[in-house]
Amino acid sequence: MKTNLLVTASVALLLGVVLSQLGFFDGARLMRGLRNLGILTSDMVPPDIGVLPVTGKALWETVQMSFAGTLLGFLASLPLSVLGTRHLFSPIVSGAARFVAAAIRTIPVLLWAIIFVILVGLGPLAGTLGIAAYTVGYLAKIYADLFEGTDPEILEAVGSTGASKLHLVRFVFLPEGANAILTQVLFMLEYNIRASSILGFVGAGGLGFVMQVYLQTLEYRRLATVLLLILVVVLTMDGLSAWLRKRFLLTAQS
Amino acid sequence: MTQEADQNIALRTDGLWFAYREQDWVLKDVSLSIPLGKVTIIMGPSGTGKTTLLKVLAGILRPLRGRVEVLNQTVEKQAQRSLSTLIGYIPQQLGLVRNLTAMENVLMGALGRCGHGKVLLGVFPRREIEHAKAALDLMGIGHKSDEKVIHLSGGERQRVAIARTLLQRPRVVLADEFVSDLDMALALEILGRIRRAAQQEQITFVLSMHRVGLVRESAEHVLTLSHGKVIPGFPAQGVQGAPGVELPQ
Ligand SMILES: Nc1ncnc2c1ncn2[C@@H]1O[C@H](COP(=O)(O)OP(=O)(O)O)[C@@H](O)[C@H]1O
Ligand SMILES: [Mg+2]
Repeated sequence: MKTNLLVTASVALLLGVVLSQLGFFDGARLMRGLRNLGILTSDMVPPDIGVLPVTGKALWETVQMSFAGTLLGFLASLPLSVLGTRHLFSPIVSGAARFVAAAIRTIPVLLWAIIFVILVGLGPLAGTLGIAAYTVGYLAKIYADLFEGTDPEILEAVGSTGASKLHLVRFVFLPEGANAILTQVLFMLEYNIRASSILGFVGAGGLGFVMQVYLQTLEYRRLATVLLLILVVVLTMDGLSAWLRKRFLLTAQS
Repeated sequence: MTQEADQNIALRTDGLWFAYREQDWVLKDVSLSIPLGKVTIIMGPSGTGKTTLLKVLAGILRPLRGRVEVLNQTVEKQAQRSLSTLIGYIPQQLGLVRNLTAMENVLMGALGRCGHGKVLLGVFPRREIEHAKAALDLMGIGHKSDEKVIHLSGGERQRVAIARTLLQRPRVVLADEFVSDLDMALALEILGRIRRAAQQEQITFVLSMHRVGLVRESAEHVLTLSHGKVIPGFPAQGVQGAPGVELPQ
C-alpha cells in the first residue's frame, strides 16, 4: 500500500518535470497555439474540391505503394521468421536472422525511403521498397515470436510422424498461426497506408509530394482535401480488414 | 534372455533414470517390458511421471541413464524419420492442428513418407488419401473428414488423433491420458476401437491413465508407476488413496 503510493507520487512528479521541460506549462504559448489553431482551421474550410483529380491520382499511387510494399515485405518476412525460430534452427542461425530483422527495424520507414531514393532514384519505386524493408523487419520479429509460441504438444505429435522442418512450417506453424499472421499483416497494411502518405516529402512518390506543395504555398484548403482523402482511405481499410477478419479468421465455437 | 521372450516384447527399458532438475528424479531405475500386439495401460495418480515416462519412451526426452529398446532397436540411435516407423506418440491434448480439417490432420501421419513437392502445396498422393479415409472410417468419423478440428467434439478429436497414428503405421503407439477426459461409455467405445486396430494392424498400444475404473474395464496388461518406479499390476495401497485415482471395488 505504502510503496504503491510512493510509486504513484514519484511517477506523477517525473511526469510533471518532463511536461514542464517540454513547455506544457507555458500558458502564453499555449494560448497562442489555441488562437493559431482557430486561424488554421478557418483557413482550411471549405476544402478545395478542385484539386481532387490531382490528389486522387497521388492518393492512388500511395495506395498502390502500400499494398505492393506490404505484400513484398510480408513474403520476405516469412522465410526470415522461420530462420529466426529457435525450435527449428540452432542459436547461431536463429540469432543471426533475428539480428537482421532487428537491424532493419531500427531504421525508420522515412529513412528507408531516403536510402532507396538514393539507390533507385525519385518516385514510387523507392517508396515501395522503403515500405517493404520496414515491413520485413517488423513482421519477421512478430512471426518468429509467434512461431516459437506454438503449442509444443502439436510439434511433438506431428514431429513424431517423421515430418521435416519444412513440413512443420507448412502444416503446423502456418495454420496454427494463421489468425495472428493475418491480423498482423492487416495491421501493417493500415500502418503503411498512413506512413506512406508522408514518403512523398522525401521524393519517394505518393500523396506526400502534393501535401508538401500545399503546405509550402500555404494552400490550406487544398491540404484539407488531401487530409480528408487519407481519412476516407483509412476508414475504408478499417472496414476491409474487419471484413477480412470476419471472413477468414478461425472462430472457436467449441 | 531367450529368443522367444524377445519376439513377444514390443518395448523394453533397462534402468531408466530421468530428472528435469538435477537430482530431482522423476523416473528412478525404471525397467519394464511391454508385450507385443496388446493394449498396455500405465497407471498412477497425477504427477507421478506418466507423461515423462511416455516422452522418454517416444524419444522426445533423453534418459539421463538407461535406454529404451523398441523391437530390439535402441530408440536414441534412430533418426526422427526412421523412428516414426517404430513409434507413434499422441500427447495428452492430442496435438492436432486446430485450423486444419480432420482429413488433413490424419494425413499428417503420412509426412514421414512424403517429400517436399506437391505435399507442400497441400496435395497428398492418392494412395495416402485412400488410407486416411479408411482410417477415419475405422474410427467411425468418416462423415466429419472435412470439418476443421476446432469444430469437433472431444471424442471426435480423440478419433482423429488415433486415425493420424494409424496412417503413420508405427509398430508401437504411446498415448498419454488417452480418453481420460471422456465419459465412461464413450471412453470404452474408443478403447474398443483401439483394441480392434491393435489386432487388425498388429500395433502395440501403451496408454497412460489415472482412472482405475476405466483401466479395470479395458486393460489387457497393467503397469503402475509409483514414486518413480514401475511395478506390474494394479496400484499398491499407497497409490490408491492419492488424488485423481478412483478406488477399485
Ligand atoms: N517440463 C518440466 N519441467 C520440470 N518439471 C516437470 C516438467 N514436466 C513435469 N515435471 C514434473 O515431473 C513430475 C511428473 O510429471 P508428469 O510426468 O507430467 O506426471 P503425470 O503425467 O503422471 O501427471 C511432476 O512432479 C512434474 O511437476
Ligand atoms: Mg500427465
